[in-house]
Amino acid sequence: MAVPKLEQLSKSVVQGPSLATGAIPTKDWMDIPVHFHEGNYAYPAKKEKVEYLNSQKGLFFPNAREWSPEDDDWKLPENWKEIILNGLKERLDKFRSLKIFMDCCVRCGACADKCHFFLGTGDPKNMPVLRAELLRSVYRNDFTLAGKILGRMAGAREMTVGVLKEWFMYSYQCTECRRCSVFCPYGIDTAEVTMMLRELLHLVGVGINWILEPASNSNRTGNHMGLQPHTFKDNVDFLTDDIENLTGIRITPTFNRKGAEVLFITPSADVFAEPGLYTAMGYLLLFEAIGLDYTWSTYASEGGNFGLFTNNETMKKLNAKMYAEAKRLGVKWILGGECGHMWRVLHQYMDTMNGPADFLEIPKSPITGTVFDNAASTKMVHISEFTADLIKNGKLKLDKSRNSHVKATFHDSCNTSRAMGLLDEPRYILDHVVDWVEMPENTIREQTFCCGSGTGLNTDEIMELRMRSGLPRANAVKYVHEKHDVNMLSCVCAIDRATLTSLMNYWNPDVRVCGVTELVGNALVLEGETRGELDDGLRTML
Amino acid sequence: MDLAEAFRNYKAKIVDRWVDYTLSTYQSSSFFKKEGDVFANPVGGTIREALKKLFVLLSRGATTEEMIAPLEQIMKIRSIQEFSPSQAVAPLNAVKHITREILAADKERCHLVADLYDFEFAVDLAVLAAFDIYMQCRERLYQTRIREIKTGSHILTDSACPSASLKNKIVQESIPKVESI
Ligand code: SF4
Ligand code: SF4
Repeated sequence: MAVPKLEQLSKSVVQGPSLATGAIPTKDWMDIPVHFHEGNYAYPAKKEKVEYLNSQKGLFFPNAREWSPEDDDWKLPENWKEIILNGLKERLDKFRSLKIFMDCCVRCGACADKCHFFLGTGDPKNMPVLRAELLRSVYRNDFTLAGKILGRMAGAREMTVGVLKEWFMYSYQCTECRRCSVFCPYGIDTAEVTMMLRELLHLVGVGINWILEPASNSNRTGNHMGLQPHTFKDNVDFLTDDIENLTGIRITPTFNRKGAEVLFITPSADVFAEPGLYTAMGYLLLFEAIGLDYTWSTYASEGGNFGLFTNNETMKKLNAKMYAEAKRLGVKWILGGECGHMWRVLHQYMDTMNGPADFLEIPKSPITGTVFDNAASTKMVHISEFTADLIKNGKLKLDKSRNSHVKATFHDSCNTSRAMGLLDEPRYILDHVVDWVEMPENTIREQTFCCGSGTGLNTDEIMELRMRSGLPRANAVKYVHEKHDVNMLSCVCAIDRATLTSLMNYWNPDVRVCGVTELVGNALVLEGETRGELDDGLRTML
Repeated sequence: MDLAEAFRNYKAKIVDRWVDYTLSTYQSSSFFKKEGDVFANPVGGTIREALKKLFVLLSRGATTEEMIAPLEQIMKIRSIQEFSPSQAVAPLNAVKHITREILAADKERCHLVADLYDFEFAVDLAVLAAFDIYMQCRERLYQTRIREIKTGSHILTDSACPSASLKNKIVQESIPKVESI
């Protein structure tokens, strides 16, 4: 018979020549080398960006060069192995958590199926336990007695170029989202293992452009896009023009104003890229409605901290900028916009690195008098906490019907939910401004699925990979879209606003993405407004 | 006993083996096969759901149009994973062989194998439609990428003058919306 038998079919499918990951593993994971091809890796950092960063005080980004992951020769320094092992030793001594994470995993597998990269690819090395094992195997080999004696039998292996390439592949297939850590009985945070892998790779000049360029821009001009102060101001002004056209309200925000009560910092993407722009319009309207004494800064013009995705020194430096600016302007406290990793850095690392910010006051809402004791040390309040408090105290006039074109759901951003515990405030706000429903329980709150493109993986050359890793999130959105006609995915993170937009374009094209404050802006009733029927809220084209 | 009845009797068995075969194309597939919650296991859950629907359609010789929805569920996932086009589509074909094997192994029903022509023809149609959907998905992926570049997220790093791009908002708005397939 001409029709091939099932077995032959399966052979040609599974073992065909263009095979990538479609194989049932017949070898131990340690023996499967990584294979780089266009689409499965993010582009390496440009030489001049690395040179610039390396020239900056306190930062260390050596071995700037042109290179490609597809080449056999990555042009590593001659003594690269020594550098890596010394770097690992230094970090094991410095970070107690790393040492614990290396030692205490019992390989119970509870984390294995919790990672969106594993769920979207079926690649075992995307199981968090194996991701950590990539580093742990080297740790065992060089830093434990069992590994030194038993070698591979004890799960140890020597550091080789192949291992280094594997580190690069899989530390950039982890968005440091910490979902796995929620399920680990020992609290092992694989995100921090990934951070260490990336730090070590930077020591030999292996990093990606989508992270290092924004980090260097932030260091240079204060924001990811490298925008100069006048451009930043022009863009905010441009938004105020839009607001005037839509509502008849003229807002005149101030910039770098000394003596303002509050410094407002948000991701620069809110000021420059859709759909964040509408969230920024929401901020402007909100502050106008309550008459907040605040200022924008064109220097601390970025909430995001791409340092978090490189090494602790860069993270510390970029975080410090916000506080230096708060000090310079003499504000009382800082109000932070809808950002993800800004809050992660602030909540988890800032106090150890740059805190406590004693020169600021414990934040107190000038409108409601509420004292934000939770921010007693960092002196920085999240816009959702601030807004929820305003609503609770009846300080905002809201007309929910102005969002009648929207049926929303809410995506918990990994950073705000798992790294700072901000779960109920955005929900409380949504209750008051829009008709909305939750996604399934095992995809929200602490168990939320990442957008799939966090930690600097939101670059277009790996779009396929992002669509895979974003599948678990998109799948839950699809469910509420089909069941409840949800047409808007709201969130409180600027990276989410950009990445979820692409994710929806592929998986659920009828669902748009917005910030929670955009929905607040839509619903706000302002004194003196001459607002017509805005059938698409702040997005209405007049 | 006629073929329709044999399909009904063996539906669960055939679908199970078909799902198992399809999910075996993933490197680490035991979780995909085991976990029943579609939110905890989107690949496994979706493929199981779609193949179940598809089998019912195939066994009653449904039209291609009717098969689009479940095929889309599967191809949308497989077209963005690391499969070659043939690898992405091939598991659909497997149901022919699985059905033959299962019927042939049943002494009372093995004569029905000779009647499988219509069923297998329906599978052929499904496979052809799946190729079209595969291409549409790839197309949509590229559209998504282009759209992201054009709508400004790319200026996170690469733009010389973002305010100019804002003034070009109208141009951005006119980028055609990626059609739902
Ligand atoms: S931190 Fe997130 S992306 Fe990284 S291994 Fe854990 S679940 Fe996966
Ligand atoms: S859940 Fe924790 S202890 Fe268990 S395998 Fe994962 S990292 Fe190791």
